[in-house]
Amino acid sequence: MEKFLKMSNIFQNIAIGLRAIKSNPTRVFLTSLGLTIGIFTVSIITAGVSSIDKEFEKSMAYYGNDKLYVSTWPWSFNFDWWKYRNRPRIEEDNLQYITQYSEYIDDVSLRKTTWIRGSYGNTASWLQINGVYPSYQDMLSGTKIENGRFFSQNEWDLQRRVIIVGATVRDGFFDGQDPIGKTIRLGGVSFEVIGELKKQGMGMVPGGTLDNLVIMPSTTFKRILTRWGFDELVLKTKPEQMAIAKEEAEMIMRVARKLKPDEENNFAVNSADAYKEQFDSLKIAIAGVGFLVTGISLIVSAIGIMNVMFVSVKERTKEIGLRKAMGATSRNILVQFLSEAVTISIIGGLAGIILVKLLTLVLATFLPVSFDLLLIFYTFLVCVFIGITAGMIPARNAANLNPIDALRHE
Amino acid sequence: MSKKEIISIESISKIYQLGDNVVKALDNVSLKIFENDFISIMGPSGSGKSTLMNIIGCLDVPSKGTYKLDNIEIDKMTDSDLAKIRNQKIGFVFQTFNLLPKLNAVQNVEVPLIYSSLSKSERISKAKNALNSVGLGNRLDHKPNELSGGQRQRVAIARALVNSPSIILADEPTGNLDSKSGLEILKFFDELHQAGNTIIVVTHEDSVAKRAKRKVEIFDGKISKDE
Repeated sequence: MEKFLKMSNIFQNIAIGLRAIKSNPTRVFLTSLGLTIGIFTVSIITAGVSSIDKEFEKSMAYYGNDKLYVSTWPWSFNFDWWKYRNRPRIEEDNLQYITQYSEYIDDVSLRKTTWIRGSYGNTASWLQINGVYPSYQDMLSGTKIENGRFFSQNEWDLQRRVIIVGATVRDGFFDGQDPIGKTIRLGGVSFEVIGELKKQGMGMVPGGTLDNLVIMPSTTFKRILTRWGFDELVLKTKPEQMAIAKEEAEMIMRVARKLKPDEENNFAVNSADAYKEQFDSLKIAIAGVGFLVTGISLIVSAIGIMNVMFVSVKERTKEIGLRKAMGATSRNILVQFLSEAVTISIIGGLAGIILVKLLTLVLATFLPVSFDLLLIFYTFLVCVFIGITAGMIPARNAANLNPIDALRHE
Repeated sequence: MSKKEIISIESISKIYQLGDNVVKALDNVSLKIFENDFISIMGPSGSGKSTLMNIIGCLDVPSKGTYKLDNIEIDKMTDSDLAKIRNQKIGFVFQTFNLLPKLNAVQNVEVPLIYSSLSKSERISKAKNALNSVGLGNRLDHKPNELSGGQRQRVAIARALVNSPSIILADEPTGNLDSKSGLEILKFFDELHQAGNTIIVVTHEDSVAKRAKRKVEIFDGKISKDE
């Protein structure tokens, strides 16, 4: 019971603090504005960083954590593109060396890529075409055959015009109906759909959506789609062997290319970590700038709150004296002023959260952002912390006032 | 019939150290105040009457000597214990009323009750009763600036009474009032005295002191007259 009474006492003092806020809304608004901005920026930064993380995970899934891609160009480079543009094309023959000499590569496939207009009836769309080996079925990452089947060795040998389509083809061409068995035209040649891939969604990877995809035998690709495109070798290893397999693939490729020891690689062995570096540097840049801005604005707003609290204590010196004469303990006064400071900062934080919520509502219509409920909790904690930190010195000054002097204060 | 002793001050001194100067605001003062006394404390400024009043009001502690209020030793208490004593045992009435301008009459009277852990409904009914007893039952929702000086002081008296204190300590209660309102307040003190309250009035006006049943005069930190 004693404890309960003490609690209700605390609430009383909080109520007194709140009343002081109600009586000066403009001051409270201006003071809490800094915190609003701080919370707003920190939320934007957090949302930004977490969407980068999500995108990164998606592209990891897309490229796979167990795959190496031998290409002409490295996936990430810094303005030194001229070094790569005259490199020789990747040749299918290199695969033989790799399968023959490699210890860590479990499976390989050629992957030819081009973009072409595909059509069905009156609808047409640009599609990404991959020409691959039958083994590529086990090397799909981030997706799988959901409907129908992959092409067989036999179909590959016979250069059959069979395709596996990405998830957007169903809605784009067939109004959501089962595409299996239908025929679509790619560059004027008709292909039969034999399989359908699971939807992958949007990604930061080149090409935006990952589902505008068509897979066919590389033999068919070579015979029919002779226009511009590029080739890559896809190598499958085990996730824990990525580093060593990468080294090995590089060695074998150098041998295959007959490079002298002092010559630089004229090919690139890529893996999803290349993106990780890019994502990480982007993340660090955003987070660094963001937290600097936020940190400054939070410190400034804490100082603002402290200043306002000093003014509030000064203004109400006589009231403090009176309350003490009427039986308020130092603790009562401390709680009263601390709760005033905390409330100012929570008001600022709430305004920030409301702003963030509105912004995400707007952004969500065209960007994959989401509003994190945990954010409210963290903001609350931060605001309570800032309020207590900023309010502590003024509130202690108030609590330690001598009632006689305070009463005499004019 | 001997009356109950409410205040027992035994040779207290209050010494201030101002730089190299030692100021004896109170010098070996002893005073006993009994239940239902109506005392005036008079003295010129600088005589030490404010210091004595602060000590009696538990706002300050003596440097030397003992002070018992309702048989509780005050002189060695901590600040928060003193706050509790002030809350329960003493009703202050100030010269400048010291009402909180943003609160209405009921809320002002409620202030001491907030620090004595009562429920809200209890607080409001007690505050209303106190205001009724000072004749302001029809001014409950008025803010201080909507009340006359005499009415404000009566709100302050209601606030002093609301916790049923052992003593009412009034510091120049009529100092800021015109003579008519002052008289009204003094009459009210008479009524309170007749109702059994113990009243201490600190003043420098003879007309106020005359009302009291016992006059204490203080000069140079010593009690010069007590009759």
